[in-house]
Amino acid sequence: MTRVVGTNARRADGDDKVRGAAVYGMDTGETGTLQAKLLRSPVAAGRIRRLATERAAALPGVRAIITAADVPDTTSGWILKDQPMFAREEIRYIGEPIAAVAADTLEQAEAAVAAIELEIDPLEALTDMDAALAEGARLIHPAWESYPMLAPGPRDGNVAWESTLDRGDVDAAFAAAHLVVSDEFTTQRQHQSPIEPHAAVGRFESGRYVVHSPAQFPFLVRDRLAEWLGVPASKVRVVVTTIGGGFGGKIDAMLEPFVCVLARKTGRAVRLVNTRQEELQTAGPRENAVIRIRTAVSANGEILGQEADTLADNGAYSGEIVACAAVPGLVFGGTYRVPVARYRTRVIYTNTAPTAAFRGVNGPYAMFALEQHLDHIAAELGMDRRELRLRNVIKAGEAIANGQVLDDAVFEEGFARVDEIAPWAAGTAEVSTGGRKVLRGKGIGAVTWLTNPGPGGATVKINEDGTAGVICAGAEIGSGAVAAGLRQIVAEELGLTPDDVIILAADTDAGTYDGGAQGSRTLFSLGNAAVQASAQVREQLLEVAANLLEASPADLELADGHVQVAGSPGAKVPLAAVAQTALYTAGPISATGRHITPPVQFDSGCLAGALFTGFATPTYHVHSAEVEVCPDTGKVTVLRYVVAQDVGRAINPQQVEGQIHGGVLQGLGYALYEDLRVTDGVTVDHSLENYRLPTVFEAPPIDIALLDNPWPDGPYGAKGAGEPSIIPVAAVIASAVSDAIGKPIRNLPITPFDVLAALREESESPVDQP
Amino acid sequence: MPHSFTLNERRVEVDAPDMTPLLSVLRSRLGLTGAKPGCAEGRCGACTVLVDDRPAVSCLTPVALAEGRSVRTVESLADPDGPLNPLQDALLEHGGVQCGACTPGILMALTALFERDATPDEAAIKESLAGNICRCTGYHKIVEAALAVAGGNGGRS
Repeated sequence: MTRVVGTNARRADGDDKVRGAAVYGMDTGETGTLQAKLLRSPVAAGRIRRLATERAAALPGVRAIITAADVPDTTSGWILKDQPMFAREEIRYIGEPIAAVAADTLEQAEAAVAAIELEIDPLEALTDMDAALAEGARLIHPAWESYPMLAPGPRDGNVAWESTLDRGDVDAAFAAAHLVVSDEFTTQRQHQSPIEPHAAVGRFESGRYVVHSPAQFPFLVRDRLAEWLGVPASKVRVVVTTIGGGFGGKIDAMLEPFVCVLARKTGRAVRLVNTRQEELQTAGPRENAVIRIRTAVSANGEILGQEADTLADNGAYSGEIVACAAVPGLVFGGTYRVPVARYRTRVIYTNTAPTAAFRGVNGPYAMFALEQHLDHIAAELGMDRRELRLRNVIKAGEAIANGQVLDDAVFEEGFARVDEIAPWAAGTAEVSTGGRKVLRGKGIGAVTWLTNPGPGGATVKINEDGTAGVICAGAEIGSGAVAAGLRQIVAEELGLTPDDVIILAADTDAGTYDGGAQGSRTLFSLGNAAVQASAQVREQLLEVAANLLEASPADLELADGHVQVAGSPGAKVPLAAVAQTALYTAGPISATGRHITPPVQFDSGCLAGALFTGFATPTYHVHSAEVEVCPDTGKVTVLRYVVAQDVGRAINPQQVEGQIHGGVLQGLGYALYEDLRVTDGVTVDHSLENYRLPTVFEAPPIDIALLDNPWPDGPYGAKGAGEPSIIPVAAVIASAVSDAIGKPIRNLPITPFDVLAALREESESPVDQP
Repeated sequence: MPHSFTLNERRVEVDAPDMTPLLSVLRSRLGLTGAKPGCAEGRCGACTVLVDDRPAVSCLTPVALAEGRSVRTVESLADPDGPLNPLQDALLEHGGVQCGACTPGILMALTALFERDATPDEAAIKESLAGNICRCTGYHKIVEAALAVAGGNGGRS
């Protein structure tokens, strides 16, 4: 039994947020700082012939202008360090920073940017993957071989990175197959579009760079800054503000280096905030991709072998797409039994804005491709789509394509729970409402996902008034992982209420190294670290209290803000008294815990170029959707959505539900209309008017079944819960639309135009449809 | 150009060009950063304030149009040292706040609705949020919170 864990405790930052008092990155330095603006490249590829800032620098209010000449000639990046802070000689995408201005006002900074003289000799722009991969194509990074890497991987010219999974005799499986099915799918860019744009305020204090920004992964930002600015990491301090949404887009450094250098040059605090147009055009979206997949199956629908080739658009520079290049293969071969597999992902440089992590990274399109492909197989075999999945889905104790054994897989329970809520057998097909014919369809799919295994640590102390303080560098991205969940875990451990637990905002100077708010890891990792720290704190408390209560520590327990003798609740002493006594006896009460997920056990010979080698702390997901399609307009309406999700154990069920609701709606946008279009290197969707985000009217009814599947190495059994709900959404909506219209879906998003085109195609070549 | 209006029940005067967005005046001149510059193009609704009791995107509202009017921001909903109002409280009770960047605008849109109609139904609540984007929550818990307030239980279901 737990007292606080498992309840819907309120979030610590909620009060400030509803009062408008929370200070976000965009609110930091609104006044009293210099305002900065970037000069960005107007061309997709070129060489800088002339860059003159003298006239701009003489304009009123201008305090500093910096270019590549003012910063070290170096490149940085998380895995593959290929990105300069400013375009130095060569320009590689529209929007690439060329100069930065700090002025007294934003208007003055903008005027100075407009006055910078820039002349560019154009280069042939390779603005899509076909162009970049063409025989004899120009190298987007002529010096690609010289770039440093965090870990080595196969690379070749415009192929920034290659990751392969190769296991077993795939050719033999295809030769012996009853049926071989092949498909190709294409998917679009999707923009994270948090309400808060990227923002940063920099200061130069005591010879160190101090930057405030809404950073998801402050230690990565610190390390990127150190590389770009040519200083040791200890010369950089990143303080995380309230974060107004991130969804992966605020993992990496973006505006931070510019305000750091401008602050050093001016001796003033400098603020830089992206406009919405800059957000959409330069702040890396989910990458567009092409997936070719081919499967050998037996007559009864058993998958015998599979191969897939994925092309993922890196844009001009490398971010998290390289880090996650192995993930498509893990998704293809990680949910349904694939005894032999050959998967390859190539991450391709193009002269377009760099792509980056968006919740689920490349999972949503990999799953979309796989599930439509399974539907195709089911149709070829004349088999029910759900039945095909049930025949192949991994059972507990079975191995996936990389050889990893999933001991605690709960897919059968997931399918069963979804079926209880929305029975598959209940008919859909065509219905008439109010005399209008509408088409209805259903989709179902499953996926294995991971809890990001990055490291973390937390210090827990008892304040002299009996409350607890927690110091860590866990960024509260909005999920409640820190503001709700971590508080609940520490409160549970120490016999306190969540309100008695005060957590310091993430700061790289204060907190232990932390792997960032990504991949659902924050509460999993910091919860484990906090449990470990709390156990030591408890020991310290009991030792001091034992003297005060004249009892043995073994007979003591923590409850209601006191240390008490178990079984005799009258004999107790408040934590405040224990903490005060400790100051002069044992010393202040404080302890640090740390956490790292052990490496996944897999067949290490089968993977190359893989930074994620398997599913650490795996979670299991089954989703279903029912849609209605209007044959006159092509409009798709999601009537019903069901999620069965293994979260290990929910520390705060309400917050977990909130993550699922939000992920499903982001996935719905990806499935049906979010499409960050790039034409000739120009990101044409430059405002929220044409890049449309889901509104309250598009939120479908969502039923949720949380699968209780406690993880022995998780805090109170918890696994990661925040990220994965987005991953299956496009897959099951596409299946449902396909079911409704009787035509395959091969591209995302599924716009009304695509639906109408598919329906028209149908009338030309009729298929079985009532 | 001098402009005077009522801001959260106090008269204020600012000197700014007529077309200066009200949002900029609120944030950088008057020190109220509750309204958020989410997109600055009238699409996200995070900067929603009430102008004479009607919701308005302050990023597209020229300060000149606030002349002589009553402007209310999220900061007016509760005294800084006082308890939360029922809508604020319900949003937290129902888990309707994640990153919170849209929250000030959502609250002002709902405030305008509840001042017109103390017991709106789900359709009216959704209609009132037509101009507010929330990228985190998927809206369900926001609507739940508003329904709870409409049900007259002060946000506690």
